[in-house]
Amino acid sequence: MHSGGFSRRDMHRMARSTGRRSNARRPDAEMTILEEVPAALQRQLESVLEEKEDIKIAISTDLQFDGSYGKDWVLATEKRLLAFNQNGVPAPEVQNIALEAIDEIEIRELYGNNFMKVRTSEGAVEVARYSKRLAPKFAEATPEIETLIDKVKPEDAEKSKRHRKFVDPGKKKIRCETCGRPIPRWSDVCPNCVEKGKLLVRLLKYAIPFWKVSVPALLIMLVIRLVGVYPPILSKNLVDDILVPATMAMTGGQPVDPGAFGQLLTIVFMMVGAHVFTAVFSAVRGYMMTWVGQRITLTLRNDAFQHMSVLSLDFYQQRETGNLMSRITQDVGRLRDFIAEGLQDIIGDSMALVYMCIIMFVINWQLALWVLLPIPLIVLFSFYFGHKMHKVFHVLWRRYAGISTILASTIPGIRVVKAFTREKYEVDRFEEQTHQVFEGEMNAAKLWTLYQPIMTFLTYIGTVLIWLVGGRQILNGELTLGEIMLFMTYMTQFLQPVRTLAQMNRRFLRAATSAERVFEILDTPPSVASRKDAVDLPNMRGQVEFRDVFFSYDNEKNAINGISFTTKPGEMIGLVGHSGAGKSTLINLVTRFYDPNEGDILIDGHDSRDIELRSLRGQIGVVLQEPFLFEGTVADNIGYGKPDATRQEIIAAAKAANAHDFIIKFPDGYDTTVGERGARVSGGERQRISIARAILKNPRILILDEATSSVDTETESRIQEALGRLIQGRTVFAIAHRLSTLKHANRLVVLKEGTIDEIGTHEELIAKGGTYANLCEKQTELSKIRAW
Amino acid sequence: MKQPIRIEDEAQFLDPKLVKISHNQFAELQAELPDGSVHAPVEPVRTFPLTQPDQYISLLDAQKNELGLIEDINQLERADRTLLAEELKKCYFMPKITRIYSLEGQFGVTQWEAETDSGSVFFDLRSRNDITSLSGGRVLIKDIDGNRYEIVNYHQLDPKSIALLETQI
Repeated sequence: MHSGGFSRRDMHRMARSTGRRSNARRPDAEMTILEEVPAALQRQLESVLEEKEDIKIAISTDLQFDGSYGKDWVLATEKRLLAFNQNGVPAPEVQNIALEAIDEIEIRELYGNNFMKVRTSEGAVEVARYSKRLAPKFAEATPEIETLIDKVKPEDAEKSKRHRKFVDPGKKKIRCETCGRPIPRWSDVCPNCVEKGKLLVRLLKYAIPFWKVSVPALLIMLVIRLVGVYPPILSKNLVDDILVPATMAMTGGQPVDPGAFGQLLTIVFMMVGAHVFTAVFSAVRGYMMTWVGQRITLTLRNDAFQHMSVLSLDFYQQRETGNLMSRITQDVGRLRDFIAEGLQDIIGDSMALVYMCIIMFVINWQLALWVLLPIPLIVLFSFYFGHKMHKVFHVLWRRYAGISTILASTIPGIRVVKAFTREKYEVDRFEEQTHQVFEGEMNAAKLWTLYQPIMTFLTYIGTVLIWLVGGRQILNGELTLGEIMLFMTYMTQFLQPVRTLAQMNRRFLRAATSAERVFEILDTPPSVASRKDAVDLPNMRGQVEFRDVFFSYDNEKNAINGISFTTKPGEMIGLVGHSGAGKSTLINLVTRFYDPNEGDILIDGHDSRDIELRSLRGQIGVVLQEPFLFEGTVADNIGYGKPDATRQEIIAAAKAANAHDFIIKFPDGYDTTVGERGARVSGGERQRISIARAILKNPRILILDEATSSVDTETESRIQEALGRLIQGRTVFAIAHRLSTLKHANRLVVLKEGTIDEIGTHEELIAKGGTYANLCEKQTELSKIRAW
Repeated sequence: MKQPIRIEDEAQFLDPKLVKISHNQFAELQAELPDGSVHAPVEPVRTFPLTQPDQYISLLDAQKNELGLIEDINQLERADRTLLAEELKKCYFMPKITRIYSLEGQFGVTQWEAETDSGSVFFDLRSRNDITSLSGGRVLIKDIDGNRYEIVNYHQLDPKSIALLETQI
């Protein structure tokens, strides 16, 4: 299979042995469309190419035609297209196609792999097979090859226009631009390339305004830690200076020093004092740091949400709601923990360790060395164990999430479960999941039960070492009883900070990723923004002109594929077409939720990008299929687009929208609270509230996106009536599947795959007998059935 | 009076003996149907790509309208079957992983190095959700670029591969 040169695996091995593996597979390195041709291929080329014929494009594949991994080549010069396929043994099979002969280059996008196919007037051949990884490279090369073809076949230049691809800067990255590694789906930033130092500095900037509180808090912490190491010293003095001499005196038959009790009392008071001091100041510090932490949270959270509200729709489209929510809630919280607690903990714990070490080394450096001996073991163990535990808990967490998933689907779907008598199936599914949780919990328990004894044992080694080495020193008269007690106490006090510091790395990493996730929101510029020199357009007439507009959401498929037409002010345009034809996209462009990739949209003759966004959107009203009501009263929702609306205006708008009658039937009238997503109001009622909202805003351009499709016929006629009043004197874009909804429309635009299929009045289009006439006929038949 | 629906009559299968599969001059799949009509290019689609790759093959025309269903490609004449199977093999590329050499990563992103029936391969996943665990130890993997891989029964892999895989599923 691998007839020529190295197999892929060999190459991997070499790449691995020569250094970091990621270098060998960095995708941006592969993305050139003029790759270096290997020597063997070069020699073969010489026999094919004419003099002064240059290779313009050279791209390699990663699959061979038989479906095995391997490298084939596609090359293009100004005269021909060449394909080298390793399947021909011993020499590669060569396909040599003159550019003049090529009619079309086709990319077949299949499941798990793609093909490049060249079509000539006589036939067609597949020239390359490649995995999805190389899809961007081939997508880039195709228009380049077409350009070469256009040069030898100028009469066909028009044809290749439809292959144009857009590079959309807002496209979500899947690989890091710096290191080429994949970016986790939840993150959007490369955790490997996060510059942790820089992030830390930036994070600290949020703490700086509160330095008047946080610096004293840090100082208090340092003092507390210092005082914290003092009681063992007091115990040592107590033993060495008072208790031991007293015991000695007694065993020697001499009287005990009469001042000893006074000394004892002093030391005990000092001990109590130290504890009270620590307790009081810990509480004070805790309060101070909580304040700082909460202030930071407040600022960060508000900054992030404020910036998020500015960001364009594509930002939201590319990210899951849960993901964004967790950034504002969890990530910000994690940052607070880190700035307010983590950093101070690290400093405090390190200082405590340093204090204790100094004291131990001053008292007896040999014994100190022995005491420190098991510490690396404890660090290593905590580190290793933390890692293991994290894994186990992660699995467990996923299994718990599985329980929630089952519950979230069965509880709302309980009617379906019961109607199809699938209770047992759901119970079984649930039991399987809880069983997995059980197993996960037991795995975690196994680890925990191991952890405790091992940790105790490691600590105990330290104790035993102190008894052994210290005891021997006592026997040799090099150490006192009080000193050995001090070491014992310190040994136990050592553990907690050591464990904290061992976990520091993960804590730090987590904070860094959280910071990056929050900062990503803050750093993303809105892709649709007002230009600096944008103008206000206070009294829009409502003329909208599309000029050769192209748009793609994912830059793979064009949602709008060259649309040009102009609406007159006050005209109602009905948008008709199958789902996916581009109706909603067109509307998204009018409202400037997105900007076109190519072409312009002019409003009253101004490029829409030159109009202040607030001014533009302030004069556009939207009524959607699923009207969104916010948490608040009916009045709030009607007045959403006009915060200074009077009660009178709100009632007037509701009346115009045929909403007044049902609103006053609510016990709370206009003060009725509509729940999240307006759960307490029916679909038709919600729709009429949203129409009232649009009426009150009095927009110049009105957008009706399937405004009546989700309500019954009776309600529809009421809504229709309300809409009929609303559309007077405005430019209206209306999308509807029920063509009867569009009876007021001045003109109809029939869209098909992002282009205008037909345009004209209802009568014109019926007379034409095209797509629209066809649709109408079908719907008339349908309505007959309904009538029957 | 309309006849009541008989559900087994709803899916209209093509008579396998009357379907002729060939290639046209543009190397496209061409199908002659029992009604005598000839269509090209024809796109075969597996309706159960994961569970029944050779049964219930839908034939689509260039406008993606269904021309008809083939119940089982093994019912076709041998020559037709070969051509259709070849085309399906092209259209559905999902190498079977036979061994996992290494699997590392953090933050949910993993880099895999594995042996497949198509040769050895490197690929990256962006999250654990891209791994689907089915019954019988079957595992389906979709990598960052949209390539697919399959493990027929992971319990039958070597112990090292199993250990690596079990950190992810």
